[in-house]
Amino acid sequence: MRRAIWLLLALALVVAYPLVFTTPFQQRLGALILLYAIAASAWNIVGGYAGQVSVGHVVFFGCGAYASMAAYSHFALPPLVGIPAGIVASVAIAAVIGVPTLRLSGHYFSMATIAVAELARLIVTNTEYLGAAVGLSGPTVPRTVFDLSFISALPYYYLFLTVLLITLGITWWMTNSRMGFYLRAIRDSERAARSLGAPASRVKLYAFMLSAGLTSIAGALYSMMFGFVDPESGLGLLISVKMLIMAALGGAGLLFGPLVGAAILVPLEEISNNLLGGKGAGLTYVVYGAIIVLIARFQPGGILALINRLWAKRKPAEAPVAQRAPHAS
Amino acid sequence: MSFAVNRDGFDRVIRGAMSFVLVQVIVGGLLLGAVYALFSSGLTLVWGMMNVVNFAHGDFVMLGMYVAYVVYTLLGGGPLLGAPLATLLLATLGIVVYFALIRDIMKGPMLAQILGTFGLALLLRYSVFWWFGANFQTLPESLVGGTFDIFGIRIQASRLLAGGVALLVTLGLHLLLTRTSLGSKMLAVAEDSTAAQLMGIRPDSMQAVAWAIAAGATGLAGALIANFFYIVPTVGETLGIVAFVTVSLGGFGSVPGALVAGLLIGVIESLSGYLIGAIYKDIVVYTLFLGFLWFRPQGLMGKM
Amino acid sequence: MKFKHIVGLLSAAAMSVALAGTASAQDKTVKIGAVFPLSGNAASAGVHAKAALEVAMDIVNNAHPELGNFPLAKGAGLAGLGGAKVDVVFADNQGSPATGQNQTLRLITEEKVVALTGAYQSGITLTASAIAEKYGIPFVNGESVAANLTERGFKWFFRVTPVASDFAKIYYEFLQDMKASGAKTDNVAVVHDNTEYGTSVASVITSAFKEKGQSIALDIAYAVNATDVQSQVLQLKEKKPDVVIMIAYAPDAILYAKTMQALDYKPPMIIADDSGYSDPSFIKAVGKISQGAFNRSSWSVGAPGSATAIIADMYKKKSGDEMDDTAARQMQGFFVLCEAIDRAGSTEPAKIQAALKATDLKPDQLMMGYKGVKFDDKGQNILAAGLMIQLQDGENYVAVWPKARAEKAPIMPYKGW
Repeated sequence: MRRAIWLLLALALVVAYPLVFTTPFQQRLGALILLYAIAASAWNIVGGYAGQVSVGHVVFFGCGAYASMAAYSHFALPPLVGIPAGIVASVAIAAVIGVPTLRLSGHYFSMATIAVAELARLIVTNTEYLGAAVGLSGPTVPRTVFDLSFISALPYYYLFLTVLLITLGITWWMTNSRMGFYLRAIRDSERAARSLGAPASRVKLYAFMLSAGLTSIAGALYSMMFGFVDPESGLGLLISVKMLIMAALGGAGLLFGPLVGAAILVPLEEISNNLLGGKGAGLTYVVYGAIIVLIARFQPGGILALINRLWAKRKPAEAPVAQRAPHAS
Repeated sequence: MSFAVNRDGFDRVIRGAMSFVLVQVIVGGLLLGAVYALFSSGLTLVWGMMNVVNFAHGDFVMLGMYVAYVVYTLLGGGPLLGAPLATLLLATLGIVVYFALIRDIMKGPMLAQILGTFGLALLLRYSVFWWFGANFQTLPESLVGGTFDIFGIRIQASRLLAGGVALLVTLGLHLLLTRTSLGSKMLAVAEDSTAAQLMGIRPDSMQAVAWAIAAGATGLAGALIANFFYIVPTVGETLGIVAFVTVSLGGFGSVPGALVAGLLIGVIESLSGYLIGAIYKDIVVYTLFLGFLWFRPQGLMGKM
Repeated sequence: MKFKHIVGLLSAAAMSVALAGTASAQDKTVKIGAVFPLSGNAASAGVHAKAALEVAMDIVNNAHPELGNFPLAKGAGLAGLGGAKVDVVFADNQGSPATGQNQTLRLITEEKVVALTGAYQSGITLTASAIAEKYGIPFVNGESVAANLTERGFKWFFRVTPVASDFAKIYYEFLQDMKASGAKTDNVAVVHDNTEYGTSVASVITSAFKEKGQSIALDIAYAVNATDVQSQVLQLKEKKPDVVIMIAYAPDAILYAKTMQALDYKPPMIIADDSGYSDPSFIKAVGKISQGAFNRSSWSVGAPGSATAIIADMYKKKSGDEMDDTAARQMQGFFVLCEAIDRAGSTEPAKIQAALKATDLKPDQLMMGYKGVKFDDKGQNILAAGLMIQLQDGENYVAVWPKARAEKAPIMPYKGW
C-alpha cells in the first residue's frame, strides 16, 4: 500500500512539473527527459531485463523517425501515420536479425547490433528516397493538430508522459508474466534456464521484437518534435549509447531505472552545455564525462539501485526483495 | 546519387587481373589493414583477457597521436623519440586509469563498463580539446621520409613503418603471452582468477600489467599513425569503431586474430572502394562482418 | 519492485530549475544569439566562427575610424539605437540538430535575444531556424548552402551567402574562360563526400553543367571522415580528367592532398569548393604540396591598409589563424544583421524583419566580394557572388578571376609540390 502511495505522489509531481516550471526551456527539458526515458525504457526490456546488451538499438529508433518523416515528405500525410509503419519495420528487422544475432554471446551480440545499426545508417545515407545525407523534414507549419508540430512543449510533455506510462505499463505487465519469469532466469544463467525447459531463444526474440517496436515509437515522437531526421540524428551510434547509459545509470532491469537515468543525464548535459558550451572550450563534455565516470565507478548498478538499497537499509522490516543488477552474459 | 553499382568496376576486374593498379590497391589495403591491426592489438588484449569493453580505446590512440605532435612541435623530434615516449606515457596513463576506474567497473556488469569507459572517452577527448583546441594538426611528410617507389608501386614510408611495427607488435605480444612466464600468469588470471590466486598469482597486478601493456601498444600505434593521418581530438570516434570491428572479427583476445582481421578488413575496404565505389566500402565491410559473426561467432581465431 | 525515484526526479527537477533560467534585462545592449558547433567533429569551424563574430562585435561596439566607410565601424555601438552595444550570446549546437534547436529555444526564451545567426551545418540551421520562425525571431545565416533552407516559405529566415547554384555558375564560367586561353577543360571529375554538403553541391554542379551542355566525366563519391582515400585517387589517376573539382571538408581534404602526393598524382587543374581547402588547418598542413589549387571564395584579403586587410589582421590576432572564406561569410552575415537592426532603430523583431527585407547594401559596404546584399522573398541574397582564388605560393590564396577583380593571373597547370 505504501508503494502505491509513493507511486501516486511521484506521478502527481511528474504531472505537475510543467505547470510549476513554466518557462519554455524548462518545459522542453521535461519533454526531452520523458522522450529519452521512453527510448531507454524500451531498450531496458531487452538490455536490462533480458540481459542482452544491444548497442545498435538506434536502428529501431531510426525506423520510427524515418517512417514518420517519410509519411509527410512523400505522401503529405501527418507524421503520426508513419508510426504503425515504423513499428512494423522495426519489429520485422528485429525478427530477421534477432534469430541469428541472439544466438551470439555477450560481446559478440553487442558488436553485431552495432554492425546492423551502422549498416542501416550507411544504406540510408546513400538512399535518395530517404533523403540520403540531407535527411527528411517534417511539416514546418502545422496543418492540423495531428501534425503534432507545436510551438509550446507542453503538449509534447503530456503526450510523451502518456506514451512513457504505456511503455512502463507494458514492461511491468511483461515482467510479471511468464515471459518475464523466463527472462529473469535467462539473465541469471541461460544454460540453467534452458536445461529447465525455458524456451530461451523464443523468449529473447519476443523481448527483442517488443523492445524494437517501442523504440520505434520513441523515434517517431522525436522526429515529430524536432521536425527533422538525418542519418546522424536518426541512426547514429551515439543515440544507442545514450539509451544504454541512461538505463545503466538509472538502473538497468529496474522499471523506473531508465527514467531516473534520463532525469539525471538529460538535464546534466543540457545544463553543462548552457553554462559551459558557449565558451567553445569543450568543458561541457569534460564535466559530463567526469560525472559519468564517477557514477560508473561508485555505483555500477545504477542510481536507482543505490536509492533502493538505502531505502531498504532504513526500513529493514519492510525491505522489498532485493533485485540484483544484471550480470554480464 | 542512385544506388547502382559502378559498372566500370566489372570492366576493371577483368582488366584488373593483369592490371597493375589493382596490385597498388591491394598493397595499399594491406598497409591500411596493418595499421588497423596495430591500434587494435591493445584492445583485443584487454577485451579478451579482462573482458572489458573499452569505449575509450579510440581516445587512447588519439592521445598517442598528440604525444607525437607535442614531441614534434616542442622538440622537433620524430617517431624515434615520439613513439617510445607515447608508449611510456600511455602505459602510465593505463595504470592510472586501471586503478582509478577499470578495476572497479570490471567487477560490474558489461553495462557499467560501457558507461564508465564512455564517460572516460568524453573526459579524455574534451580535455585534449580544451588544451589543444579544435584545429586539425598534421606532422610534416618530411618527418618520415616520403614515398618509396618499388616496381611502380608507391608505398608511403610512414605507412610502411606503421605496418612493420604492427607486425612486430603482434609478434611481440603473442610471444609475450605464450612464451614468457609473465604471459602465462596473465593468461591464468584471464582464465580463472580465483584459481590463479590460489596458485600465488596476484590478479590485480596481472590485470594492471595487461592494461598497461595494452595502453602502451595503443599509444605506440597513435604516435606512428600521426605521421600520415590528421590529428584532432575527435579522431578517437572514427578509429574506435574500426578497432571494435577488427577485434571482434579477429576474435576477442586473439592478437594474431586482430592482425589477420585487420589485414582482411584493409584489403576488402580498399578493393571495394576501388571496384564498387568508396561510399559502399563500409557497407561491404559491415555486411561481411555481420555475416561472419552469424556463421562463425567466435571470430577468425577467437577461442570460445 | 522498488521505486523511490522521487528523490532522483525531484533533484533532477530542482537542478534543472535552479540553473536553467538566466534571463537578463539590460536595455542598453542588443542581444544576438549565435548557435555554432563548438564541440564535435565540426568544432574547428565553430570555434573560428566564434572568433570571427567576436571581432565583428568589437568593430560594431567600438570606434574604428581606420575602417573608413565600413558600416557600423566608425562609431561605437549602434547609432540607430542610441549607441546601444551588441552582445553576442554563443551556444554550442554540439553538431546535433536536436541540441541546435534546444539551444536556439533557450536563447530566444531565456536569453531573450532579438535575432539569431548560425548554425554552420545545414541540418542544424534547418531545425534552429524552424524554432526561430515559430517564435517570430529573425534568423540570418551567413554560411549554410543547402538549397532547401530557403524553400520552406519562411518569413524570418535570411541567407546572405551564395548557394550551390551560384558556385556551379562560377565554376562553369571560369572553366570557359580558361578554355578560351588554351586549357583543356572537357573532362571534369567531381569528388565529393556523402554528407548533405557534398551530395547537394555535387548534384547542383552536375545539373548546372549539363544544362550548358557539358556532362561530368567522373563522379567519385566517398564516405566522409575517411581513413584512406587511395582507391579514389587511383581512380582519378587512371581516368586522367582535365579538371578535378574537390568538394570535401578539411580532414578529408588533407588526406586527399597527402595521398595524391604519395601516389604521385597531379591533375592538370584542381578546383576546390571552399570548406576543406580553405580551412587554415589545411593550408598549414598541406598547403605546400597543393600549390596551384583553385578555390572559390567570396573573400580576399585585399590590398594592405584596406578595410578587409585590417579585419583580416584583427581576426588573426583573435584566432591565431588566417581568415578563411567560411569565417568571413559568417562575419558578413552578422554585419548584415547588425546593419538591419541599426536601420530599424528598434529591437522589436517585426521591425528588424522589415529592415532585413529592405536591405540594400552596396559592394563597397561589404567585406565580402558580393555584388551587394538584397534579399528576395524567399530570404535568399540574390546579389551573392564569388570569385576564384588560387593557392599560388602554398600559403596564401590570391584572387585570380574574374579579371576585373583579379590580383594576379591564374597559373596553369596545377603545380602540387
